[in-house]
Amino acid sequence: MEVVVMGIGFCGSFPASGGLSYRELIARAASMAYEDAGLAASEIDGAVSVEEDFNSGYSIADEYVPDQIGMARKPIYTICGDFLHGIASAVMQIRTGQFKTLVVEAYSKASNVLTKDEVLHFAYDPAFGRLGVTPHYLAGIEMQHFLGSSAYSPADVAEVVVANRSAAIGNALAPYGARLGLSDVLGARPVATPVTELMIARPADAAVVAVLGAADAATNARRPVRIAGTGWASGNSIIEHRNHAYSSGSMIAARMAYSEAGLKSPAEECGVFYVSDIYAHRQLMHIEALGITKDALPFVNPDGGALGSGDMYEATGGARFFDAVKMLRGEAGAHQLEGVARAAVHGWRGLPTDSCAVAVLEATE
Amino acid sequence: MSIKGNRVAVIGAGMTRFVRRAEEAPGELAARAAQMALDDAGLTIDDIDAVCLGTAPDAFDGVHMKGEHLIAGAGATHKPYLRHYVGGGTGVMSPIHGWMHVASGKFKTCLVVAEEKMSPCNPHPAGAFLTIFDHTTEQALELTLIHIFGIEMSRFMHVYGYTEEEIALVSVLCKKNALDHPAAQIAQKITVKDVMNSPLLSWPVKRLDISPTSDAAVAIVLTNEHIARTHCKAPVFIEGVGFRLDTAYWCTRDLGFPNYVAMAARDAYEMAGISRPADQIDIFEPYDPFDYKALHHMNALLLDKTGRRTKELLFSGALERDGSHPMCPSGGALGVGNPIAATGLMKIAELYFQISGQAGKRQVKKDVHRGVAQAWGDLMQVGTVVVMGSEGAMPRRKTFWSEAKPEDLAGTALKDVKDVPHIEYTPDLRYAWDNGYALTTYLDGFKNGKIRGSRCGSCGRLMIPARAFCEICNLRPVTEYYDLADTGTVQTFTLSHVNWDSSPLPKGQVKIIAVIAIDGATPEMGLCHVLSEIAPKDVTWGMRVKAVWKPQAERTGTVTDIRYFRPLGKNEKVDATPAPIKPVELDAATAKAYPGRIPMSYVYTAGLGGSKFFTDLAKGKLSGTHCPHCDAVHIPPAAFCEYGMIALDPKGGARALEPRSGVIAAFSIVHEDRAGHLLDEPQVVVQVAFPGAVGSVFGRLQTKTGDTIEVGMKVELVRSGKAAGPEHVWFKVRK
Repeated sequence: MEVVVMGIGFCGSFPASGGLSYRELIARAASMAYEDAGLAASEIDGAVSVEEDFNSGYSIADEYVPDQIGMARKPIYTICGDFLHGIASAVMQIRTGQFKTLVVEAYSKASNVLTKDEVLHFAYDPAFGRLGVTPHYLAGIEMQHFLGSSAYSPADVAEVVVANRSAAIGNALAPYGARLGLSDVLGARPVATPVTELMIARPADAAVVAVLGAADAATNARRPVRIAGTGWASGNSIIEHRNHAYSSGSMIAARMAYSEAGLKSPAEECGVFYVSDIYAHRQLMHIEALGITKDALPFVNPDGGALGSGDMYEATGGARFFDAVKMLRGEAGAHQLEGVARAAVHGWRGLPTDSCAVAVLEATE
Repeated sequence: MSIKGNRVAVIGAGMTRFVRRAEEAPGELAARAAQMALDDAGLTIDDIDAVCLGTAPDAFDGVHMKGEHLIAGAGATHKPYLRHYVGGGTGVMSPIHGWMHVASGKFKTCLVVAEEKMSPCNPHPAGAFLTIFDHTTEQALELTLIHIFGIEMSRFMHVYGYTEEEIALVSVLCKKNALDHPAAQIAQKITVKDVMNSPLLSWPVKRLDISPTSDAAVAIVLTNEHIARTHCKAPVFIEGVGFRLDTAYWCTRDLGFPNYVAMAARDAYEMAGISRPADQIDIFEPYDPFDYKALHHMNALLLDKTGRRTKELLFSGALERDGSHPMCPSGGALGVGNPIAATGLMKIAELYFQISGQAGKRQVKKDVHRGVAQAWGDLMQVGTVVVMGSEGAMPRRKTFWSEAKPEDLAGTALKDVKDVPHIEYTPDLRYAWDNGYALTTYLDGFKNGKIRGSRCGSCGRLMIPARAFCEICNLRPVTEYYDLADTGTVQTFTLSHVNWDSSPLPKGQVKIIAVIAIDGATPEMGLCHVLSEIAPKDVTWGMRVKAVWKPQAERTGTVTDIRYFRPLGKNEKVDATPAPIKPVELDAATAKAYPGRIPMSYVYTAGLGGSKFFTDLAKGKLSGTHCPHCDAVHIPPAAFCEYGMIALDPKGGARALEPRSGVIAAFSIVHEDRAGHLLDEPQVVVQVAFPGAVGSVFGRLQTKTGDTIEVGMKVELVRSGKAAGPEHVWFKVRK
């Protein structure tokens, strides 16, 4: 069964969003998505939200999902993941044949979390992983392993920052666009060597909402985008056992998605790639796992990625998904690429995980 | 309507014992349940295409993103893996999410795991429930789950005319049924009198009305029809699923009947082709965290808002195991225990055991073709329902599960967490919530001695708290704001003897918590608050009350600017006409954020593997665990192998390693502490490998200014003395 994106909405991203409660932030994105899909909330069968308790500040944060997306009393559940994991779950749900249309929602109010590093430190194994120092330490370990086992250098990692933040200048929704030089990045304040402050995406607030539908139920959709494949997978959660030089989660997820989409040479068959860059070295690591050649690099994260748009917690991959949908419709604005008919979008859950998801999207016109 | 996707069957189940405090770490509990389910299904982890995991709040286990923490234990390493949650409804949502994996055709097999370890919460898991309430409008009232259960039970008794003694029959039934369950935590033979005489916590809730807090994991294996028929002579199929989530504005609905559960049941029944549930379903496993909840849910599962049928069944003995409508033959949450998500999946496992004829002593008398399991949760808000059935009643079978005894199940009960190596930890979790447009006006009302609402121009509801959009009118913007009367009518109430963290109130003190329908707002549009100036025994449903405000100078713009509500005098006049107001204009001065924090602290066991590691480390030793599946020695010591999903024995399978033989595999010089503050002196985090073992150990390196650190340097573990925990793992360079 073919599943399409019927509509999409995005509110953000902002370094801070005082004046909008999280409910109001999400409601704005949801209203945009419903308008785009040509549906009222009451016409949609159910919803999947993507949230983590301590990012939202609630225990069992799923309680606070239904109202601001207009879905009270409908079939709703919450998953933990990147927005793309939510897309994958919703696609499965539609393919059971029991649901025709679903909403997928994720948001970030990162500016409301006053102790972000404490929250991240709390994600490590209490018996072995909480070392009492910055939780970015694992990024330093990863980057060292990665550089040690690849042909990349610290300058290549810095180049990712320079490119993405530069690209973000052309994205009206990205707050962190900037012209930087390699020396700015490499010489920035060290956090967990070799990772510097500028190699870590800065936090941002945003909400993203997508309306998905079975293709036969989406006949009124203005400009549907086909979800040709989805894949997701997790690397080893025991960090003592994980190969930190390689993203197994990305590789397995990509293979699933490519296979479902019938792609043989994804690097050639996709016109644009969106790849998680919450840490700059991770973009390079993910590119390798996704099977992207260096030739395709100009077409990676044309919206500026998370380095340019911000780390939006569970909504981070959603920002890339939003841009991909707009790109395939020819609505990406200043950073629109010509002739893009297929996009691969990758999301990663951030440290200390290697949990990743990939969606392959195709224009229908 | 029938199921449209591929048919999905349950072909195996596993679970640990349900215990108050388990020595095993969360992943170790999950791994044992997963391994048992695979064994029961006759499959290995290599046969599993995908894994999904249910677990409720992260605040229980005390790990942010705990779904990620549980990947290895759930058997999901290098597999497609999704964690889902819907509060207390998670356990029955788990097979539904698993069902989607297989029914969609995306996967042929899916391992479904549910885990909850509540015991790390210090001093009591109930504290985690403070932060299920709205951080801006409710948490200041210091509520917990027992309070809202009391509120709901009180409303249920009022609407359906139950006495406390009648409701206690459920607790008696479940605890008795659990005597035959090998995983049971608090099975016992008790009487109604025992329940009535147990300590009063929050009237009408007494200690024995409540299920216990627990640690446990449960797993099942789902497959498509082809694989199920290959592995089972008579598979148990998932025939229908339903799940519904109501509004988070919980004070806006009548708590007497859970419409959202009835709607979920209707969805599941429609898929399963059930039109008369009382006649077409043989066994019922409603969620029973409190005794009244089983009855509350039975009303919904029988689609009977009058509640008459449930009452008849209860009083006639039909809900007993040998009755016509056996309810909670497992023993339920009240008897087996209530590790939230794992409880719901335990109920699914019970349907599998009963329908496949392998429930042993718990097997109900009648032939079982079909059963329904249900869970509930969040802010009295979510219903999850699964109908399972066979293609004919199956003969009683002698299997592992029909004969299982407590000692056959994993799960090590501790008297005190501090009896084993443990780690104490207090996260600093602080927030500041942007109030936004609507709540700025609402909170400004409190500061000015007013209760404020907003009116939807479409449905006409005048709503409190004020909102900027209408949640039932397609997010229509709401622009009309009103000052309301500060008087109202008590919808329901509880008389509490406990604080939000479950500690007792000072002797003789009672906190009266009520849902109050505010005059002028849409009928039943309630506000939760406390009552005072009245004796607890005199509080009644429907009594009229009025807000007592703090002096203006003490008000800060929060719900506790109302000190409490007091009885309204008979001669006091009320003007309930809402007065339209101009909402507060948002600008840099008025756009404020409401402060919040999650006030939890934890005492974790190190787990079976961790205990071995820290016991050794205290003596300056190091060992790994031999894994027959990998034919290798794993470090750190482990109680399971995540690649083969087999149990390992960190003690019996220990292989001594040389603690002086470490080699730096990677390192990072860190400049900030765990909170992001700059360190006075940078520290060095090292990942260290040891010859003869696979894996590594993370810790910190003792260094002096000017030291050069390189990958490949030889280091040794530093003896820790008695202390356990990662902050005590240090290495030093070997000379």
